[in-house]
Amino acid sequence: MYSLRRPILVASSHKNLAKFHPGGLGVIEPPPIFVSTPVFDGSLAMLFTCVRDHKVNLLDVPLFPICEAYFHYLMAIENKNLDESAAALGALAYLLERKAWLLLPTDDPEPMVDDPLELPAPTAHEFQAAIEALSEWHEARRQLFFRSGSGPDPYELPFALEDISAVDLAREFERILREATPEPFESPSKPRISLQEQMRKVLLVINYEWQTLSQVLPLPITRNEAVYWFLALLELLRLGQIGAKWVGEDIAYARR
Amino acid sequence: MNPTDSILALLFVSDEPVSAERLALALGLTQGQVDQAIEILQKRLEKAGPLSVIEIAGGFQLATKREYADLVSQYLRPQRSKLSKSLMEVLAIVAYRQPVTTAEIELVRGVQSDYSIRGLLERHLIREVGRRPTPGRPVLYGTTQQFLHQFNLKTTKDLPEMPEALDVPISAYAPSQGELAIPE
Repeated sequence: MYSLRRPILVASSHKNLAKFHPGGLGVIEPPPIFVSTPVFDGSLAMLFTCVRDHKVNLLDVPLFPICEAYFHYLMAIENKNLDESAAALGALAYLLERKAWLLLPTDDPEPMVDDPLELPAPTAHEFQAAIEALSEWHEARRQLFFRSGSGPDPYELPFALEDISAVDLAREFERILREATPEPFESPSKPRISLQEQMRKVLLVINYEWQTLSQVLPLPITRNEAVYWFLALLELLRLGQIGAKWVGEDIAYARR
Repeated sequence: MNPTDSILALLFVSDEPVSAERLALALGLTQGQVDQAIEILQKRLEKAGPLSVIEIAGGFQLATKREYADLVSQYLRPQRSKLSKSLMEVLAIVAYRQPVTTAEIELVRGVQSDYSIRGLLERHLIREVGRRPTPGRPVLYGTTQQFLHQFNLKTTKDLPEMPEALDVPISAYAPSQGELAIPE
């Protein structure tokens, strides 16, 4: 790894150059040369994007240390990734040309350049250390084998329900559907009930005592009503307006 | 019954990590007793046998020891699914910034990220954890238990410290009044 230190500017390339590959979307990313100045802190690709979009004043960004860092990168590169180095060269050439036009004492307007959207895209370099750590752990985790390869239940509830899982609620839904009767055919213009309206209906039935669904469900119920009932129940659980707990082998619900 | 053997039996029949609270509840022990018994069990298994008790994804689980990795791998031939660079990038952002919206992820990355988010959702590494009470009620994403399991973490607190990344609020990435706000 090398780095160039200046009182106000640091431009350096990443230590693991060989690890980086061109992006997979047809856009070649430049090597991760990082630029740090009082007005800009980020990758070369990010600097390129910001200058292109007129978000950074290029006159405040010294280009010499960046070019120097690029030369060091060229000297250090092990697997000679020409696409990557060409992408960086393209970005640098663009920056140099833009700065030259800014420095020239001329009244002529700056000429329009080709569509620079084909040039590199910025990346979240701040997270590079985290990405590397996660990759290492992912690799280390491959050395461990469990009785079930799938790991924890992939369906997680976005709210805490103690020991009631998403699978338990899905079983409850299956049970409601079993008790429901098929929907009679009706015209498609039937007015729809909103979830909020259904939630109000459910709240009228569920009180502050723990009750199981079979105790509160208004039977007979159609499949459509069963679906609305369950959706309203889930939303009320998510909002914390009702709680759920195991009572014997059934899930009981009560208002909070 | 010996609590150490009882815990071993419960871990043997469990397909997923079992928390100390759940073990305590099942065995009628205090959490301190469970912790102590697990420690004894870990030491016992460390000395002999191909298995170990590891703490992962908020619980304890039986796993084969690392020295048996090649043997088991040859036998099971597990499918290797390496995450791409963009998926890892989005995953790292979600892990450190959770709960986070798609727009916030895109602010940090500077590129569209919905494809990567969908990929991580399909792999159950991230999930919807709610909605931000702002106009449009954007979906908030967070990491899952599966993420902790896949990356051999006990909790998200085990992630390496990233002072620079963590201290910068996401709003710092947003352009304001025609200028780009750059994190200092």
